[in-house]
Amino acid sequence: MNVIVSYDISEDKRRTKIHKILKSYGQWVQYSVFECYLTDTQYAKLRSRLNKLIKPESDSILFYFLCACCVGKVERIGGEKIRDDTIFFAECADG
Amino acid sequence: MGTVYVTQDDAFVGKIDERLHVKFDKKTILDVPLIKIDGVVILGRATISPAAISELLERHIPLTFLTNNGCYLGTLQPEVTKNIFVRKAQWQAIGESAQAIHLVQGFVRGKLKNYRNFLIRRQRENSNLDLSVNVTRLEQAIAPIETTKNINSLRGLEGAGSAAYFACFNQLIRTTEFSFNNRVRRPPTDPVNSLLSFGYSLLRHDIQGAVNIAGFDPYLGYLHCERYGRPSLALDLMEEFRPLIVDAVVLSTLNKQLLTPIDFLTEPLSGAVSLTPEGRKRFLQQYAQKKQSEFKHPVLGRKCSYQEAFELQARLLAKYLMGETEKYPPLVLK
Repeated sequence: MNVIVSYDISEDKRRTKIHKILKSYGQWVQYSVFECYLTDTQYAKLRSRLNKLIKPESDSILFYFLCACCVGKVERIGGEKIRDDTIFFAECADG
Repeated sequence: MGTVYVTQDDAFVGKIDERLHVKFDKKTILDVPLIKIDGVVILGRATISPAAISELLERHIPLTFLTNNGCYLGTLQPEVTKNIFVRKAQWQAIGESAQAIHLVQGFVRGKLKNYRNFLIRRQRENSNLDLSVNVTRLEQAIAPIETTKNINSLRGLEGAGSAAYFACFNQLIRTTEFSFNNRVRRPPTDPVNSLLSFGYSLLRHDIQGAVNIAGFDPYLGYLHCERYGRPSLALDLMEEFRPLIVDAVVLSTLNKQLLTPIDFLTEPLSGAVSLTPEGRKRFLQQYAQKKQSEFKHPVLGRKCSYQEAFELQARLLAKYLMGETEKYPPLVLK
């Protein structure tokens, strides 16, 4: 499933932690916005990890689900390039 | 899902949260979620942290080490699956059993038919080529496969077919900058051979992973005899994929001139030829693209990518050995 995760966290330290977790599940596209392509299990795991961390009185995390036909309709102007998940190279940019 | 290629020498591979994190010279050069990874290949020299190793094993992500030139060094595999029944069936078919003979027939037939179809297609695309002699020789090697009930004779047919195929490989290269005489290995001493060897190493990493997922013992094969540390079953299953993936990628990279002679380095003493880091990256990209490309599986009748086909073929092999199906169908594409 395709999920857009958007969060509003009042405390810097907690926000950094949440940012770090989300980086393991998807791609950071804007401040406080992640795009994640996940299986059901992966989503459940992510959700429970975040759930343990936040303070519901002051923080909020929203999950927006995109259906398969809507994914193709996303329009982007500028910003982060979408990561290609088929191959990853670890090498120095100038070498 | 993708494969990570660590091509930077002296890189440090670690783990942060649930991500694979590669650093070089104190700078981050790669940071990807582990859920997006289905294989890690280290080319050359790299340090890998104990935490990263155990995380990869836990997530069943195979880790392969290749030398800078793409020579196979070894693989760190997660524990073989607990499916003892597959392995039992695999061991019971050892030697000259009827099942082993059927499988070897399948592997050889798959490989040679793919060779033949490959040549016929190239000939159709390019009317200047005349490969009919080689196609006939290949067909002569294919015809007796069904009636040959002896593994050594089948190995002979495979050799004859491969010879017929490689005899015309040079004609398939449509640039004047490269040429191919015959297959040279350990080490390859010309660019085309070095690309072929490099490609086969990459393919072996992928197939060995698939064989492992299906629950096999990769070291017991039927076409390839047992040798210490040789994953014979992976090599067996690789046969039908060689022309479909590696040979096709090698030819298309050369013919599209994505690689030129300046992308190759020659070692002075041994004459071993290898790719430069930049060339290697381009070749890896081509290989990964090919692996992700889709086709219609002739037996299952649905679309799949080559990457999925590795595992599908391994599972079909398991089904045959366990007696669930009558035949093993090698992947033959028109």
